[in-house]
Amino acid sequence: MILRIDRRLLQNVDWPLIVAAVALICLSFLSLWSLSPTGGIAWRQLVWVGVGTMALLVVIALDYRNLVRAAPGFYVVGLGLLLTVFILGRTVSGARRWIHLGPFTFQPSELFKLIFVLTLAWALTSRWGRPLSRATLIWTGILVGVPFVLVVRQPDLGTALVLLPVLAAVLLGLGMRLKIFAGLILGGVALMPVAWLALKEYQRERLLVYIDPFRDPLGTAYNVIQAKIAIGSGQLLGKGVSGATQSRLAFLPERHTDFIFAVFAEMWGFAGCLVLIMAYGLLVLRGFEIAANAREPRGRIVALGVTALFATQILINLGMVTGLLPVVGIPLPFMSYGGSSMLVSLMGLGLLLSVRMRQFQ
Amino acid sequence: MDPMTAGGGGRRDGWSRRVLALTVLVAAGFVVLLGQLWYLQVLEGARFRDMSEKNRIRVRPVAAPRGILFDRNGLALVDNRPAFTLSLIPREMEDRNTVLARLAVMLKIPLGELQESLARVPADSLRPVRIRRDLSLEDVAKVEESKLDLPGVVVEVEPTRVYPTSTFAAHLLGYVREVSDEQMKGGRYRRGDMIGQTGLERLLDEHLRGRDGGERIEVDALGRPVQLMQREEPRPGAQVITTVDRRIQETAERELAGKAGSVVVMDPKSGDILALASGPAYGLDTFAGNLDRDAWTRLIKDPAHPLLNRALQGQYPPGSVFKMVVVAAGLQEGSLSPMDRTYCNGTYDYGGRTWKDWKVGGHGHVDLRGAVIHSCDIFFYQAGLKVGPETIARYAKAFGFGSATGIDLTGEKVGLVPSPAGRRERGRVWHSGETLNVAIGQGALLVTPLQVARMTSAIANGGVLWKPRLIQRVERPDGSLAYSETSKMTGQVDLAPAIWAFLRHSMSGVVNDGGTGVAARIPGLEVAGKTGTAQTVANSKSEKGQDHAWFAAFAPAKDPQVVVVVMVEGGGHGGSVAAPIARQIFQAIFLEKVAMGVIAFGS
Repeated sequence: MILRIDRRLLQNVDWPLIVAAVALICLSFLSLWSLSPTGGIAWRQLVWVGVGTMALLVVIALDYRNLVRAAPGFYVVGLGLLLTVFILGRTVSGARRWIHLGPFTFQPSELFKLIFVLTLAWALTSRWGRPLSRATLIWTGILVGVPFVLVVRQPDLGTALVLLPVLAAVLLGLGMRLKIFAGLILGGVALMPVAWLALKEYQRERLLVYIDPFRDPLGTAYNVIQAKIAIGSGQLLGKGVSGATQSRLAFLPERHTDFIFAVFAEMWGFAGCLVLIMAYGLLVLRGFEIAANAREPRGRIVALGVTALFATQILINLGMVTGLLPVVGIPLPFMSYGGSSMLVSLMGLGLLLSVRMRQFQ
Repeated sequence: MDPMTAGGGGRRDGWSRRVLALTVLVAAGFVVLLGQLWYLQVLEGARFRDMSEKNRIRVRPVAAPRGILFDRNGLALVDNRPAFTLSLIPREMEDRNTVLARLAVMLKIPLGELQESLARVPADSLRPVRIRRDLSLEDVAKVEESKLDLPGVVVEVEPTRVYPTSTFAAHLLGYVREVSDEQMKGGRYRRGDMIGQTGLERLLDEHLRGRDGGERIEVDALGRPVQLMQREEPRPGAQVITTVDRRIQETAERELAGKAGSVVVMDPKSGDILALASGPAYGLDTFAGNLDRDAWTRLIKDPAHPLLNRALQGQYPPGSVFKMVVVAAGLQEGSLSPMDRTYCNGTYDYGGRTWKDWKVGGHGHVDLRGAVIHSCDIFFYQAGLKVGPETIARYAKAFGFGSATGIDLTGEKVGLVPSPAGRRERGRVWHSGETLNVAIGQGALLVTPLQVARMTSAIANGGVLWKPRLIQRVERPDGSLAYSETSKMTGQVDLAPAIWAFLRHSMSGVVNDGGTGVAARIPGLEVAGKTGTAQTVANSKSEKGQDHAWFAAFAPAKDPQVVVVVMVEGGGHGGSVAAPIARQIFQAIFLEKVAMGVIAFGS
């Protein structure tokens, strides 16, 4: 019944958004293909694109309002998954962020990003009579705080760092006064020394390496330098697939995943980067426009939250790869190799499309 | 107007204005990114292109030297020496199987072992994987000669532990070994890290480890270094000043050589451990290199248990050493007095059984002090009945038996103090004969040599139970203090001053008035001690050679400065086996002190 798609809905499909996403997925496939002669990982990623597209269609078919209504359920399941990772992570060495599903691994913290947005929409609209009352804020804070702590302790600093700007964007969009907002940020900054004291010596060391990569000359700093060399050496027009020595000779670390932009930049130069960034620009602009035009509170928050999620990940990832920001593990939406990331990006896209399609309902 | 109910009437309501502001913010971010890309790719592009063409950078870690442990006088207990380590850099091995095969033949390492060590490392890892430690010079030469055929194979110089002798203070220092898979899970270590696994090396690992540095080297197409690009110096580990006296430790180990047992030397005025020996010991250096699995299994399965630190993990009946507790309890509670006398004919009938003295025929007339001096069992059977098992247990616990000393080494055992009340709690009965057994330190009573040292110290210092102190301080390479420890009192035994004096006086008699400890007598130095010959349950009927020999002593008796406890497993008589060892140790300590003018002999 709910899967029946109204013909009127199809008239409101946001084609520019889809074009941007398809373009990005093509560029990702190209980059992954060029990294391995047999193209194994590229095909594997394509399987995830297929799975993700199905998920996207399901998300569209299920009205986003229904999804927001079901948000508490998702939230509980999401927390459960995070806890599972947390507990399993102690027995399965190293791989704390992942859950194994047969040959594939799954990263619940990725999925939680979307659940987070839906939960925000649910929490901030459930008592709509008084938007942003103190009570709403406090209990939104609790809803957000619990998973945040879990994610930080996984430790998956990247995901945690993404959640905060999303929260900030939604609160600002809803008209939170800048003074209060600034107060919250200052409060957070003031709490940081306390958190610092609670950390263990080696955890602090790990955080310091994020801030100053040269503390770990064999690890992070090396990656940053190699990524810069790769990007810079692409020059204006790039070195093409065969000439991209940085990527192909494996000087680049994490080149399939978090640092894939460096591979792309080396191969296609500034010109290619311009195309890529335009595609991302289109994606984000359309997302904001959908948010701005939405008339219904839940749609507004969902669209703004998802767009902020994309924008944050794109900016932090590109900023880190180009050496503007410290290195944190955040994948580049639609580009990085990784099933969870692709799945979640496509589902996010589905949410945006869904809000847009039901704009006039 | 509520922003959320605003319709599409106004062209820009509050919501869409704010969303627009956020859009502008994000757009600004994109502009900054494009600017950075312009800078990297267009303005600096040529420079980076050049760097990418010459990009053959090899990174190698520079291992930090482990901190050194010193004794109380500044002598090193362990040091470092350079050793050659063979490592593989997975990313630089173009043809992995060929290189491994060549290496296997050249150095006679099983191919499977090489493959296994690479199996858990990603193929594009730049971090060298250590394959062999402490390579012989000959092997180093072989590898260096055929370097061109072995891409990705490197020989590095790393500091490795070196010990005065292979087994020196083995249980105290502990061994250093490559981090295990299990230990990797905490996320604290990197594969190949050498970490302290037991003893002080483990306790202080965080301090001792230091931090590895790194080198970035540019190499040419053949992998030959062209230039050093950047070097981050390793930070050496902090150095540790222990309370141990290396010379005393050496003497203790020399005297214990070939025996199973333990020696504890303690300063009764502070609880400082001057020596802590356990025999048989194991070779610390066997762990530094690549210990093969067989050797490890052999070590674990060795019936002599060389890995066991007998000083704190070995639990034994204390034998007659425990009589000092019975005396203390009896005198303080008034159930015994120095004037008590008994006639000992070598046997005592109690509970339908005849209890024997260790000396056939007995000791004749003995008073309390005489009973201690000659370790008369018959006297103590009766004393035990007078004092009562509950009171004995209470005093035993006050003297620290049945509870951990709190020494900073792991795996300490607490022993067992049996009592009728404790037995009732577990629903078992106390047979009255057990009181007799406990009174002479037998039966279910179990103690560790370290606990005996703590008790002896309490007698020597008038009742203070110290936490045995092993570490004085930890100093970072820049001289700053990372950690320090002061003496800690963990308990106090309250006895009348005259009773302490009596205990010390009678223990002096054991050595100097023709008692059982005469073998510890040193002319010119008043040694006080108590012997113990503990029968083991399994061997109670077999020959005396199976008994554990104890000697707990301090000197000088008038102003005790050192406590020495000796325990030899299956050694036989305390007086004939343990006391001479203690004598040697006292002699070594006090000869040194005489030489330094601290004590004058024969004063």
